[in-house]
Amino acid sequence: MKDNFRQSMKWLHTWVGLIVGWMLFFMFLTGTLGYFYQEITRWMEPERPFIVHNISNEKLIDTAQRYLNKHAAGIDEWDIYLPNSRDQNLRVGWRHEPEPGKKRGQYITKVLDITTGEKVESRATGGGRLLYRMHYRLHYLSTDISYWLVGFCSMLMLLAVITGVVIHKKIFSDFFTFRAKKVLPGWLDIHNVLSVIALPFHFMITYSGLLFFLFTYMVLSSNLQTNEDEYSAMRKEIYPRTAHLEKANQAADMLDISTLYQQVKTAWQGDELSYVEMFAANDVNAQVLFVRHETDITYNPADEVMISAVTGEVITQQPKEYTAAGMIHNGFISLHEGQFAGAIARWIYFFTGLIGTAMIASGLILWTTKRKPQQMKKPNGPDFGYRLVEQLNIGTIVGLPIAIALYFYANRLLPLDMVGRAAWEAHVMFISWAILLSYPAFRPAAKAWSEQLQLAALVYLALPLVNALTTDKHLFNSLSKQDWNLAGFDLTLLLVGSCFAFAAYKVKALQVSNNSSKRPSTQSSKQRVKQGKAQLPATSGSLLPVQQAHKEQC
Amino acid sequence: MLVLTSLSFSAMVLFCLAMSKHREQVLAHQVSSLVVRFLRPLAWLLLSFTAYLSVELFGWSIGPALLFGALTIAILLLILLLTYRAKIVPPLAIVISLLASISIFIG
Amino acid sequence: MPYLINKLHLSSPHWPLVSRVFAALFGGYVLATSSSLFVSQILLHAVGKYQAIHIGLMLTFIVYACAAMWVFSVASVSKAWLGLIKLTIFFTVATWFLMQFTGVTS
Repeated sequence: MKDNFRQSMKWLHTWVGLIVGWMLFFMFLTGTLGYFYQEITRWMEPERPFIVHNISNEKLIDTAQRYLNKHAAGIDEWDIYLPNSRDQNLRVGWRHEPEPGKKRGQYITKVLDITTGEKVESRATGGGRLLYRMHYRLHYLSTDISYWLVGFCSMLMLLAVITGVVIHKKIFSDFFTFRAKKVLPGWLDIHNVLSVIALPFHFMITYSGLLFFLFTYMVLSSNLQTNEDEYSAMRKEIYPRTAHLEKANQAADMLDISTLYQQVKTAWQGDELSYVEMFAANDVNAQVLFVRHETDITYNPADEVMISAVTGEVITQQPKEYTAAGMIHNGFISLHEGQFAGAIARWIYFFTGLIGTAMIASGLILWTTKRKPQQMKKPNGPDFGYRLVEQLNIGTIVGLPIAIALYFYANRLLPLDMVGRAAWEAHVMFISWAILLSYPAFRPAAKAWSEQLQLAALVYLALPLVNALTTDKHLFNSLSKQDWNLAGFDLTLLLVGSCFAFAAYKVKALQVSNNSSKRPSTQSSKQRVKQGKAQLPATSGSLLPVQQAHKEQC
Repeated sequence: MLVLTSLSFSAMVLFCLAMSKHREQVLAHQVSSLVVRFLRPLAWLLLSFTAYLSVELFGWSIGPALLFGALTIAILLLILLLTYRAKIVPPLAIVISLLASISIFIG
Repeated sequence: MPYLINKLHLSSPHWPLVSRVFAALFGGYVLATSSSLFVSQILLHAVGKYQAIHIGLMLTFIVYACAAMWVFSVASVSKAWLGLIKLTIFFTVATWFLMQFTGVTS
């Protein structure tokens, strides 16, 4: 298309990145937050009690089983989720019998107060799950449209990743290069550095994202090759499940789960129970599955122990048989989800996700920075397309984080008995994002950058304060009770807020220095305003490398 | 995890010292060309050891995933240091690799 | 008829680009699909039917990406379309040919 292959790929990389850039930014940011979705949900349900330290797993299981015997009598399948580093409350869940005409029954979860053994009533909220679901299921749109839209964006992302590697001339000799003092090379270096240092992650997350919906996206091919039965047989081969006995409809008394757990402890040589699943409760075929924290990215039979709840016998399980392709497929999906990650690895996942987000942001900003000198020379000011990109950049890169913060504000400030409260939390987020997207249309770009950055700093820094005023789960209490789950959330907000504040300060400082050096002081004030408007967007590019460098750190 | 990150950091510093444009940035005095020639193989050696350690500590499936995460963090840290505080890179690398090796032998 | 053709602005400088986008988007998809049929026919005996299909499907995204890159790298639009069509025909015919031996109907 262009003179040579590299030039063509450069063109492709630029435009592919631009048309879905904002959408990818949204997907990457909400997906990154998804690595902490349980932690976010816990923060958004402040009625839950603080962490209770040093309680044995046996006592927790007993508490849960007592509650379930009382409130989930007659239910066949239920689960107990032990407190862990991600969610420090004891939770139980059960599935009701399916209503006629439906495949699966409703699943209900309750948070239990460990000291009283009773359930905790929490406010209605979408929680972290809603945020994380947005990164593949979007919001307001139907499931099919969302999946295809997300698939389209992911495919273009894959294209951008591959073409990005192709066009990068000096991947190794420029490996550590970052020319922070220069505008255009600075932005180029930022984009390159952010892409290269996490390249395996970027490729993995994009490709595995597509694999999640393999049979949806490649429906034509799979329909051509399989009929309905073959299709479900193929899916069973790719996603094998743990088998368990069906109900025999013969009532039997069950042993205490905490007694059964002793055998598991010996088998594991440890006490790191993650959750307990019950099948066919109070039946002769009652079985309990004990699952610990994953120690393998696909599946490790040693992580699960199945025991008959009636006889107390350990049931040796058929190990799940993966085909080679199934292993690769499930391995990619597991890497995408990062369920195996412990505390530090989870933070690294989160951080790398932010690097991906910042990579997309820097690519978008690079687009405007490159075209700025040329656009500013035009007699009628910059083109509409250019201004639109700049506006969407500001409204998304800074606007979306603000909108997410306002989602948390809505969680704290909306009246507790409000109708459709959980839905309104999300409405608040999207309404404010819409406002922040349109706001830069009415302001000079540099002003809009700086104002939105200040707003972002303000909302993030004030959020722990609002939390303290509206609940008792504030930083002082959570720190003194060593509830790191809650304290970590507030501390992260403060850190993010400080990063935004620093970025806003840098932007302001650079604007001032640019204006004072560029603008002669003898002009009349009217001219100054006029020229200032044309000049301000020109300055915004020059100040951003520094700001971005610090955003990476948050 | 911290061990992996610090070892990757040291390996990356060695790579960086093997490149003349970064060596001038970091070191005040000249280094003999003999030493320079050994830097890159040494870096590869350290990186391979880190990879081996990641598998040893976390297994075949999780180890490599964590290794890439550790590399990402280490390189980002190094690039920021090179840009803003280049002079403290060599002493920091020495301190970090010492801490890493001590923690390997203790833990 | 000439009026309609004029309406379409076929001489507009944007047409080659639009055509290329369509080639990458739809031509690429069809090519990727046909490549998956071909791959699964080749692997059929080595790894079994379901796994062969699965591997073919997993590779489609890479084929799709390469096809899109190729469409945007060649000199003319007609070359891009012709290349895609030729390769798709090759995959389809080869699949049909292999099916005669394997006896498995897709």
